[in-house]
Amino acid sequence: MRVKSVFAAVVAAATVVGVSACGGGSGTNADGKTEVVVWMNSTTGDGKKFWDDAAAAFEAKHQNVDIKIEAIQNEDMDGKLQTALQDPSSAPDMFLARGGQKLRDVVEAGQVMDLTDKISDQVKTQMKTALDTTTVDGKVYGVPQSVLPGGIWYSKDLFKKAGINETPKTWDEFADAVKKLKDAGITPIALGGKDAWPAAHWYYWFALRECSQSAFDEASSDLKFTNECWVKAGDDVKNLIDLDGFNDGFLTTSAQQGASSSAGLLANHMAAMELMGGWEPGVVRDLTPDKKDMADLGYFAFPEMEGGEGDPTAILAGADSMSIGAWAPQEAVDFLNFISEKEWQEKYAEAFVTIPAAKNAQSAVKNEALQQVLKVYDQASSVSLWLDTVFGQNVGNALNEGVVNMMAGKGNADDIVKGIEAAASKG
Amino acid sequence: MSVATSMRAKRAGRPRSDKFRQRFEMGVLSVPALIMFIGFVILPVIMAAYYGFYKWKGFGKPDVNGQFVGFDNYRIILSDPSFQQALGHTLFIAVMSLIIQGPLAILFALLLNQKFKGRGLIRTLIFVPYVVSEVIIGTGWSLMLQPNGAVNAVLKNLGLQGVDWIANPKIAIWTLMFIISWKYIGFAVILMIAGMQAIPEELYEAARVDGAGFWRQQWSITLPLLAPTIRMWAFMSIIGSLQLFDLVYIIWGQYVSSTAGTSTMATYMVREGRLANNYGYGSAVAVVIFIISLVIALTYQRFVLNRDLAGATEQRERKQYERRAKKRERERMAESEIEAAIVPNNASMEVSAS
Repeated sequence: MRVKSVFAAVVAAATVVGVSACGGGSGTNADGKTEVVVWMNSTTGDGKKFWDDAAAAFEAKHQNVDIKIEAIQNEDMDGKLQTALQDPSSAPDMFLARGGQKLRDVVEAGQVMDLTDKISDQVKTQMKTALDTTTVDGKVYGVPQSVLPGGIWYSKDLFKKAGINETPKTWDEFADAVKKLKDAGITPIALGGKDAWPAAHWYYWFALRECSQSAFDEASSDLKFTNECWVKAGDDVKNLIDLDGFNDGFLTTSAQQGASSSAGLLANHMAAMELMGGWEPGVVRDLTPDKKDMADLGYFAFPEMEGGEGDPTAILAGADSMSIGAWAPQEAVDFLNFISEKEWQEKYAEAFVTIPAAKNAQSAVKNEALQQVLKVYDQASSVSLWLDTVFGQNVGNALNEGVVNMMAGKGNADDIVKGIEAAASKG
Repeated sequence: MSVATSMRAKRAGRPRSDKFRQRFEMGVLSVPALIMFIGFVILPVIMAAYYGFYKWKGFGKPDVNGQFVGFDNYRIILSDPSFQQALGHTLFIAVMSLIIQGPLAILFALLLNQKFKGRGLIRTLIFVPYVVSEVIIGTGWSLMLQPNGAVNAVLKNLGLQGVDWIANPKIAIWTLMFIISWKYIGFAVILMIAGMQAIPEELYEAARVDGAGFWRQQWSITLPLLAPTIRMWAFMSIIGSLQLFDLVYIIWGQYVSSTAGTSTMATYMVREGRLANNYGYGSAVAVVIFIISLVIALTYQRFVLNRDLAGATEQRERKQYERRAKKRERERMAESEIEAAIVPNNASMEVSAS
């Protein structure tokens, strides 16, 4: 009995100690080094290695700093971050943030550091364009690492097989290409409807082409989709569906997971093209049979819509940025400036097969399709963020689902707007 | 622990404190369970009710970073067509589960209660889907049911035209019903077999002597005596249906379940609460689910399950009967309280834990 009592007491005590030990967080560690905890979303491969290398290089220069890189699965990131940010002792000092309403929410809760006066000249001058995505009310709350312009990614081999010699520039040419691909027995467009946003991207792009810049920006800020062009964008989606060019069962196809996902279909030449953001080459690489770059991957800008009021060179893009927690030590800011230097931005571009945010590092882009993207990006009359990022998850999800519903044959352009209004009342 | 030991030492001198000591030990020993129950069941429910009164994004504190809106969230929930649809799907699943699984499970149990070769193997096989996790089953079926998946390939070889089983809004909910029935019928069958084995063999012998055939025996003996088991199973099935989340979430993902017509109350809560970042609104949804589940559970207990308790007391002397009935009433109250607490807590925890 006595032994049991002692044992139970020990177990109880150990549990208490164990629980309290979980609340790690930042601060000074046992060696007297300043700890900087970084949350990023590359759990495997070159991306993870990039972060580990960068941390090691920074630590070599600053002996009193201990950078702790923690990889969080992308899909878990939002939820974990939300919980962790409630308590500075458990929160990371530096974390992935994508701008838009979501960043605004964190800013309004006072959980992220104002970096306006803390960023280096490299960031200020070389990342000027991309900094817009992390600027809230004129203050900088994050430093972009990469810019991810969207457009249509395609398989050159399959286009050739279907007898398409030039990439489509207008909607009519696009419709024609879809028809040719279908006649050749090839699935023209891969779409990952299960994740909703890949379907919604079509609608964003149509709106970008149909709406004048001012109408587009207005709706982005006041959520009123009264302009006629939003209905036209809805009609365009309908025309797209009528082309009947999507993969079978696109509604339950995911975007990036495994060979049966939409990116997987493109990677394995099961579909000819996909509308996606600038991360596509990296995603596709992981899904090819030999996990190497897809050799015949090409890119062309979203086609021009006849009669549209939007500038045909305008593009939509996203940006992956890192933000600093309001409680973080100065060393975290130093590390962020460090990885924004040309050398590390170039390494970032190589590791993630993407376009670095810093202009002076963009020569490191070797991928042919990405060079094409870069050309389109440099010539763009305007760069807008994905609408769901702009609106935040609440309204953004409602918008995305409205488009998915429409593509599945439920509802129309009016219902999209209704869904947005309903969502706005919930949050 | 040292307190308990010293109490033990005292006991030697004072036998009268025995009862007190016993109570004290019970108190001490139930503390861990109480902490868990209060911390992970009661507290989240109260917190969800509190958050439900705010428009709150989950950052900071509701009263600082959120906005107090009173019952506005509840008004929006009840008037939201998506919620009404989700509620409709949930109730459909609850009712159809009873209609489909009940008769089938009884038939299977009748079959598996006979003596034949390989009975153990078949009993195991029918129970296997119940043991396998929802995530594996969801992933497996969603791969097989893709338009160019295994199921349609088999149909094609048979010369039949397959359909899009999970993406077609007209078919999707029936596909879900099929998967649910396939997965959970094993549990129902095992319960029914156990119930059947408790029926005395003499009754069947007597019936045979009286000339009753096989089906007549089942109808007049098995079914009535199996009724308590069936009522209990139905209760568990209803509760399971009200909580249904994982299968739908795995197969239809985060966003398209309402498009495909398979959304449930729980997927609506996660979609509107966690995924939309509306933690205040999501908590209000959790409270609504809690109340709906509570009402259904209590109604069922009051009108269906109480027969089992009443039947057992019929032959007792009147005084004794009354006394016991009172006691039972109390127990039942306590039971239903526990039941009610158990039923929807998963739902409410979903939001507060995440």
